[in-house]
Amino acid sequence: MNLDRLICDEVVDNGCSSEGHIGLLPPPHRDRKGAAAKDQAAMWVGLGFAEVASKVGGLIRQGFPLPVVLTTLCQHFDATVHGCSSSVLLLDRAGTRVRSSAGSGLPASYMKQLEGKRVRWVETPFGATINEKTPVIVLHPVSDTLREEAAPAAARGFRLCKVSPILSVTGEPLGIFAIYQRESKTDYPRFQSAHIAQFTTLASAAIERMRGDEALNRSAALLERTQQLSSTCCFSWRAKTGEISWSKELGQLFELDAAEVPVTLGLIGTRIHPEDLPSFNEMIERARSGVSDFEFEHRLLLPDNSVKYLHVVAHRTRDQEGELEYIGAVQDVTHRRHAEEAVAKLRAELARAAKVASLGVLTAAIAHEVNQPLAGIVTNASMCRRMLGVDPPDIERARESASRTIRDAERASEVIKRLRALFCKKGVTCESLDLNEATREVVALSLSELERNKVMVRTELTGELPPVQGDRVQLQQVILNLLLNASDAMGGIDDRPRQILIRTERDEENRVQLSVRDTGVGFGPQGADRLFDAFYTTKSNGMGIGLSVSRSIIESHRGRLWATPNDGPGATFSFSIPSGPMTAAITGAGTLGAIRPSTATAAEQRHVRNL
Amino acid sequence: MTVMAKRPLVSVVDDSESVRESLPDLLRELGYSVRAFSSAEEFLASDCVGETRCLILDIVMPGMTGPDLQQELMDRGQEIPIIFVTAQSDETVRTRLLAQGAVDCLFKPFSDTALCEALNAAFGVS
Repeated sequence: MNLDRLICDEVVDNGCSSEGHIGLLPPPHRDRKGAAAKDQAAMWVGLGFAEVASKVGGLIRQGFPLPVVLTTLCQHFDATVHGCSSSVLLLDRAGTRVRSSAGSGLPASYMKQLEGKRVRWVETPFGATINEKTPVIVLHPVSDTLREEAAPAAARGFRLCKVSPILSVTGEPLGIFAIYQRESKTDYPRFQSAHIAQFTTLASAAIERMRGDEALNRSAALLERTQQLSSTCCFSWRAKTGEISWSKELGQLFELDAAEVPVTLGLIGTRIHPEDLPSFNEMIERARSGVSDFEFEHRLLLPDNSVKYLHVVAHRTRDQEGELEYIGAVQDVTHRRHAEEAVAKLRAELARAAKVASLGVLTAAIAHEVNQPLAGIVTNASMCRRMLGVDPPDIERARESASRTIRDAERASEVIKRLRALFCKKGVTCESLDLNEATREVVALSLSELERNKVMVRTELTGELPPVQGDRVQLQQVILNLLLNASDAMGGIDDRPRQILIRTERDEENRVQLSVRDTGVGFGPQGADRLFDAFYTTKSNGMGIGLSVSRSIIESHRGRLWATPNDGPGATFSFSIPSGPMTAAITGAGTLGAIRPSTATAAEQRHVRNL
Repeated sequence: MTVMAKRPLVSVVDDSESVRESLPDLLRELGYSVRAFSSAEEFLASDCVGETRCLILDIVMPGMTGPDLQQELMDRGQEIPIIFVTAQSDETVRTRLLAQGAVDCLFKPFSDTALCEALNAAFGVS
């Protein structure tokens, strides 16, 4: 038996304790087994402990709030011990303040008065029982220090006679069980300490259960909210038994009611998009062997024929029995996928538009180049006809004109040859090419356009440039784009020469670099970040897609494209791509599109094939 | 020499070698005296500006363009009839140039008939 102590003015052995003691009783948590063993002996009036326990358990399971459960418990106690009213004071989590109270046998005004009250240590019955973690018998008349808790009740005709702590399994104070004697009864109430121990055990269980539920509910609510926020659902899957549990949200995602049907892989399979089913099954088989965590994406085909994209991540773990279990999260990425598809489609359209736009410029350039020698041909032929028409025919001058006609025809033929070199390629191929030669062809073709803009072009093409691997037409499109951009950037410049310097060189890493330097308006620090964004343009008639498409072409060649402001006026745009023999990245790929499945590149391919 | 002097001078300004080679011969055959220049600057620097009775002028040239030269001559008060010739057939450009006082604007390649008509218009021959 634990050390006994009395909280009272005087020690009076009036035999009220069944154990013959006045004072502190052993705390129930220290002697639960003992208390339980006395269950049969400690029958409450009308109901046995087991029945009360079962009834209280039923209330908890049915979801009755804690005050109702505890009040019911108090009512049972009150019915057991004649002349007594009991109450439960619930403490806050710190165990220092009364949070709420339960019990129907005491005046509501008194109960209300106790709520929020700080439980004072040692000097008061409540404080002592919590501090000592033992039941305390209150003897009367009470001292001044006890008056605070006992007096208000006494004023209402209830005499506080015994308090007992309600402790958690780990011994933390959860509440106080307080027994009051109705003053009409003069005899000290007779109850067994075992009754109280049973009562506090049940109350403790109820409070802990409720607190646990509360925490569980809170974390479940948090989880649910988080799932909603991140469009993520969770599941667990026991590979051996095939047992799957998943969150309500996941059921909604699959449009399956998890509450009605047990979730099985078979059931899930009915929702997987048929095209993704083989890879899904393959993933399941791999996961079943327990090799590692897994992550994959698949589509759902729902009954209304709508399609959802899911991203699944699962972590391999072991359940309590040591069996393989996966804990996973599923994210609905349908919106993201749709957005990506829309962007890809848009890029493809833009790439096509950019191609058409640069073709328009090229067509004008071609017409200009071809019409010059054609003009010579027609004029020479006219001259020739005139020389032959005079009498006598001037054979010598006719011959001269004919010779010049031939020469002009050869010039026209040269232009055509250059065009053939530029366009008459079979599809998009990855070939070894000389960037200098490709550059010269572009410069020759765009010269008239540049001249029209009063731009002088100078080239510094490094000799013995190593060949690069790539698609000639695409790279020439980039060079042309850089040239025309440079030209446009100088459109409004009148106070200095409009000059473009095209330079090729080989860098330290044996990469081939081409730069186009202009003396135009340049770009500010704000523009630098956005230069390569689609739709960013400084031109009034520009679409802002040339550089964006150019960059995707260069990147598909495993290179990079960048811009730097000049020390003087203007800007320099450069790209560099690897030189040398085909690397693993290209070997076997055949086309550039296969190196990097960029949409722009794919669109380029289609377009170039159509040429 | 005196016979040559009576022939009106037609100056050809074009950066295309094909044109500079072929056109003067035909113009001489048509009875004109001819000088050919590869740029507007070269023409302005020559001693033929005042003497030129008709200018056959390319539109697109490096440096000073055809219309630039037209403007320069107007600024100098030198009213020389101009026949523009261009390898870029652009009707809007043609319309604008005609509105600005050009005699004609021929798209390359042009026939000798078209050239004769333009020259006749330039020299006021019906």
